[in-house]
Amino acid sequence: MSAGWLIRRLLLVVYTVLVVSVLVFAITQVLPADAAVTLLGENATPEALAAVRDRLGLNDPVWLQYWRWLTHAVAGDFGLSMRTGQPVAPMMLVALSRSLLLALLSILLMLAIAVPLGLWAALRQGRAADLLTGLVSYIGVSVPEFVTATVLLMLLADWLQWLPATGYVPPSEDLWDSLAHLALPVITVSVIMVAHVSRMVRSETIDVLHSDYIRAARLKGLPERAVLLHHTLRNALLPVITIVALDVGYLLGGIIVVEEIFAIPGIGRQLIVAITARDLPAIQAGALIMAMTYAIVSTLADIAYALLDRRIRYD
Amino acid sequence: MSAVLSVEAYSLDYRLRQGTARVLDGVNITIGRGEVVGLVGESGSGKSSLAWAIMRHLPRNAVEAGGALRLGGLDLRGLDAAGVQAVRGRRIGMVFQDPSTALNPTLRLGEQVMEVLIRHRGLTRPEARDAAEAALTEVELRDPAALMRRYPHEASGGEKQRVVIATAFATQPELILFDEPTTALDVITGARILELFARLREHTGVAALYISHDLGLVSRVADRVSVLRRGRIVEEGTPAQVFRAPAHDYTRGLVAAVPRPERRLVADAPGSATVLAADALSVRYGRRRLFRPPPPPATEAVTLAVREGEILGVVGESGSGKSSLARGLTGLASFGGAVQAAGRRLDRPGAMDRAYRRAVQIVFQHPDSSLNPRMRIGEILSRPLRLHGGATTEIPALLEQVRLPPDYARKYPHQLSGGEKQRVAIARAFAARPSIVICDEITASLDVSVQAQVIELLLALRRQHGTAYLFITHDLNLIRQIAHRIAVMQRGRLVDLREAAAIDAPDAHPYTRALIAASPTPVG
Amino acid sequence: MTDLLRRLLRTPQGAIGSALLLLLLLLCIAGPALAPRDPEAIDFLGRFRPPGAENWLGADQLGRDVLSRLMTGARATIPLALLATLLGTLAGAVIGTLSAYLGGRWDEAIMRNIDAVMAIPGLLLALLLVSSLGKGSLNATLAIAVAFTPGMARVTRSVALNVRAQDYVKAALARGEGSLFIVLREMLPNVVGPVVVETTIRVAFAVMLFATMSFLGLGAQPPAPEWGLMVAEARRFVHQAPWIILAPALAIAVTAIAFNLLGDGLRDALNPRDER
Repeated sequence: MSAGWLIRRLLLVVYTVLVVSVLVFAITQVLPADAAVTLLGENATPEALAAVRDRLGLNDPVWLQYWRWLTHAVAGDFGLSMRTGQPVAPMMLVALSRSLLLALLSILLMLAIAVPLGLWAALRQGRAADLLTGLVSYIGVSVPEFVTATVLLMLLADWLQWLPATGYVPPSEDLWDSLAHLALPVITVSVIMVAHVSRMVRSETIDVLHSDYIRAARLKGLPERAVLLHHTLRNALLPVITIVALDVGYLLGGIIVVEEIFAIPGIGRQLIVAITARDLPAIQAGALIMAMTYAIVSTLADIAYALLDRRIRYD
Repeated sequence: MSAVLSVEAYSLDYRLRQGTARVLDGVNITIGRGEVVGLVGESGSGKSSLAWAIMRHLPRNAVEAGGALRLGGLDLRGLDAAGVQAVRGRRIGMVFQDPSTALNPTLRLGEQVMEVLIRHRGLTRPEARDAAEAALTEVELRDPAALMRRYPHEASGGEKQRVVIATAFATQPELILFDEPTTALDVITGARILELFARLREHTGVAALYISHDLGLVSRVADRVSVLRRGRIVEEGTPAQVFRAPAHDYTRGLVAAVPRPERRLVADAPGSATVLAADALSVRYGRRRLFRPPPPPATEAVTLAVREGEILGVVGESGSGKSSLARGLTGLASFGGAVQAAGRRLDRPGAMDRAYRRAVQIVFQHPDSSLNPRMRIGEILSRPLRLHGGATTEIPALLEQVRLPPDYARKYPHQLSGGEKQRVAIARAFAARPSIVICDEITASLDVSVQAQVIELLLALRRQHGTAYLFITHDLNLIRQIAHRIAVMQRGRLVDLREAAAIDAPDAHPYTRALIAASPTPVG
Repeated sequence: MTDLLRRLLRTPQGAIGSALLLLLLLLCIAGPALAPRDPEAIDFLGRFRPPGAENWLGADQLGRDVLSRLMTGARATIPLALLATLLGTLAGAVIGTLSAYLGGRWDEAIMRNIDAVMAIPGLLLALLLVSSLGKGSLNATLAIAVAFTPGMARVTRSVALNVRAQDYVKAALARGEGSLFIVLREMLPNVVGPVVVETTIRVAFAVMLFATMSFLGLGAQPPAPEWGLMVAEARRFVHQAPWIILAPALAIAVTAIAFNLLGDGLRDALNPRDER
């Protein structure tokens, strides 16, 4: 990994964010709703509307509006929410922190289940255990989050009453209660990823187990444990970094649904609220922050992969 | 003489969906102390299956149908898992075909030698480190301590194979299995590995089973040779016996198929007119990019000319730029310099018109990827005919020319064997009635006997049509049999170009002489 | 074609997937006709009636027959998910093929932008589009199609590049075939297979995405018997009548599984090297 590669990779993040900003701005610009009407309500006088339009710069050419929005956004100012009148940036960042907690816990839970499951299935390739895991993961990837969430709510919250149904408790307030409230959302978000990642771990492991160097290790008379731990694991799990990084995009989508269902005030819920209320600055800020998060995470994953896999020479 | 390894009437079946298939049938092989036995067979002969059987590493669908495998007094077939692990790597070492896949890419080279020493000789890590360093010194690696800290991708193919060999020898086993240890290496590197093996053998007196598809090669390294065909040993004896007086028809065919430079297959002289010429031709891939050094040229300012009906051989190791030359000449890669044909000078691929495309045809190395899997053979052959003024009624004749039955026109490529596919590719090239055919390593992926048939076919077609060939290969012995002149390439440059008869003249380029030295002619 | 079908049905995934999809196709075509009751018929006496002789899968909060709504709802979900995927595939395939064909700087520029767009999660992009196009089934379909385009462009491009590097394409170039022939006859038949497999698997994803958007209130609008919407409406009555939720949830999952199975089966069936 050279400095040149790193610089190019970071420039790419900047470029990605730029493209996303153009896209988000363009999509939100064609919103049929008039921002001034949204702000003042249907009954506002034409004069008042014109004044607000003038103040917001809505009469300026689109590129100028974009430029103004972008330069402010770079400085951390995404404007005021049309719904609450508060600055959207701090609101979205607080929401993001809650979402990140949810995402992080989900990834940890997913890895804790998917990796052993995938390895186990690979080692029992073609046997009942493998077929069963395959079947379960097949079903897993075919159930959307809102279904999983609803069923889990029915089962664990309503029926068995093991876990609180909805709501959010900050971890600083009561750690256990916070975790209890996060349990269902975290499980929900993990299901699809567990199904997907365990399939990937399985196929990567099988590929490695069938490789010449594993055969060579066995023919050197190494005990099976050493073959698996020393030779197989590292090679099988390295590509998982990339797979998980790709799944983060999916995870962020899943979080939108889950936060809505479990009433967690994260960035996903804020986005849904903003979209329903046609709160333009909030939509723009939320979408951009979310895409930025993904771009940064996938870049970090790339760098981690480059550091861990000595085979790949980035020049 | 007590036997180190004895294989007695050993038979092996594979259970397949269609029933069982016998891969080894009553095989007998005995290897005495310090003896090297060569096992020769073409693909599908079962030679690798025998190696897996001895190493007790059989696929799940294998069924041992009888016979015995003995290592000294030990019955290998009767071993349990722990017993097998105690034999592998300790009493039987193994050297694999491709060192770049046989070494774990994420472990340091030293670690991969040390783990065997720790496991089988019970050494501590520091002891193992010293022993590994000694073992690597033994295989004549320079600066073994530094090499041990490197990862496989940071070492050359030859270095990696030496590490594999060092690992096999490090535990002082009684027997070592060599599974085509030079096939994946370049000619000169492979020759050095063979020299190393000869020296190690002398030092250690180890017994070995040397498995290869190359009868010529085996005859040089083995004390005795067994020829395996479809799971049966059809002939055995000393290399001289097997080579000079083969008893079995199959062996006779195999011996005849081994390329020998002194046995010329082409006697006529080429014409004088030039059909195709490269004029300071350079091929460069990729382009300059931000923060990256520009890629080195694959082929640099090569100048050569092929005459009418001439066979011009191009030899060189992998990465020497010989295939890039072919790509430049066929306009598949953009090039600097110029191509000359039919008195015209073409300085870019776009200038190659239909007449040029018809006159200059190419056949590729891998028949699997050179035929479109979704087209029938008839359709594949009809394209050049339609494009260059032939009629599709010629297809049966074309197939017959390459000695395939006419009903093959209805088949798909995946229904054909490798040799048959290569014949179709040749037929496709000849459909355009070319004046020159560029053959890019076209026999490299074929068995020796199939290779001989393909070469014979090419020569017959040349007699019939007077076609010239630009024959690209890494096999110097093969090209010395058929070429009028031979061009030698090294690192993108043309270093030598001379008459085939004068290739071993004293004024040849040092690299040419190194190539000749690394391609010795078979015993007998 | 018949050959392909035969090979598809020989794989277990292909056989099960095809059978399930045949059933779903039947529902899409004749669902309303086959439904035992009128899916819109409100029956206040039969609210939350558990599954039984009268309503096989029970009745919902308005006493509507869940089975009939389910059967009618196939039409509201599957064709639109298919349409969205096809549109996305078409747009993606054009961009991907163009990028692979142009190669060099153009290819790099197109792909960099595609990658950048893919930094927006699919669901978010779809939601953004719906927020500006307005709620509704057709807009949701369009949004999903747009959200799928960059991914399909990537897949198509990589398959096309892979095929382009094959020697048979080089052979065609070397003998002077025109670009049109090379693209249409040499490359396309080999590109179509993997793209069809990817598309089939994506239909499963589209079904889920479409249901999710309806669930969030941005796709199909009440009183449509769309499956995602049915789950959303039934959520409040989970205590009284869990079957109102379970039935459409199961339908969504089965549909997604069917397309996933078919995709896997097609992958095996389309590989000509499998049998000799």
